[in-house]
Amino acid sequence: MGDALGAFVEEAQGLSAHFEPQTVFSIGGWHVTQYDIWLFIALAVALLVILIAARKLQLIPTNKFYNMVEYGYEFVNRNVAEDVIGHGFKKHVPFLATLFFFILICNMLGLIPGFKTSTGSISCTWALATISFVYFNFYGFKTLGAGGYFKSLCPSGVPGPMVPVIWFLEFFSMVIRVLTLAVRLYGNMLAGHMVLAVFGIATTCFLQVALFSGSIDLIGALPSVAWFLLLVVMYALECLVAFIQAFVFAILSASYINMATHPH
Amino acid sequence: MEITLVLAALKVVGYGLAAIGPGIGIGIATYGLCVSAARQPEMKGQLMGYFFIGAAMSEALALLGLVLFFIG
Repeated sequence: MGDALGAFVEEAQGLSAHFEPQTVFSIGGWHVTQYDIWLFIALAVALLVILIAARKLQLIPTNKFYNMVEYGYEFVNRNVAEDVIGHGFKKHVPFLATLFFFILICNMLGLIPGFKTSTGSISCTWALATISFVYFNFYGFKTLGAGGYFKSLCPSGVPGPMVPVIWFLEFFSMVIRVLTLAVRLYGNMLAGHMVLAVFGIATTCFLQVALFSGSIDLIGALPSVAWFLLLVVMYALECLVAFIQAFVFAILSASYINMATHPH
Repeated sequence: MEITLVLAALKVVGYGLAAIGPGIGIGIATYGLCVSAARQPEMKGQLMGYFFIGAAMSEALALLGLVLFFIG
């Protein structure tokens, strides 16, 4: 038992090195990491799914696959865009659906054993958050004009002397949106995969020490069964988190677009 | 060696303390959403927007703690 715990602690300490981006090969000055490769695979899968679904558009889809993709699009259209943005939401549905599907496919790919999720690296989520940040600021400037947009950051009805303070606070909270969007997705994905890895390592360590270190010790192998059950439970939770994080990213982008284009 | 270990442990403790407030905040926001959606289900769509803005704002504090954990 003590040996297994020691082996587990030793293995777990080297765990974070497995999540560091490592250069697989270099083209010119561009170092391609494993996360880049999975990013392109996710891009290819997303393109393939959407293009196959869009090739044969029907008024009443009969195939299960078409139904699934249409349901996903309808979900973004209704629950994300229409409910949150309100009037004038039609224009933003393609952007939100792209974000939702891409992040969902990235997250789901990472759950297949042996695969990596590209949203588990801060560079990828930072890029996605920057795209969203530029998009809602662009539409804010476009609908309200530069002066109107900056003025609308402070809600109306604030007493005169408080306006600069409130404006500065609102401006700060607007600027850190890019940080929170990026870190939320990155943190959730990285932490989830680390938890899965820790339970996986615990299962193998306890099993190895109990069965393959000289004598066979069946009682000592029992903790690894518990670890494995926990691993299965955490895996189910991670499937939920993969969906929720894609949904949250899309719905927060929609909220920010709503706040930028419809001032209070 | 000792000092780096203590610093690493303190970072984790600090992040844990920083996550208490946002945790309570998101709990209250979810409670409010559930209660109001149960009373007036037709308002649910609109309330979801407010809920996500509020939850994102309070979660931002925990995320700032996480960033400090990485850079500090």
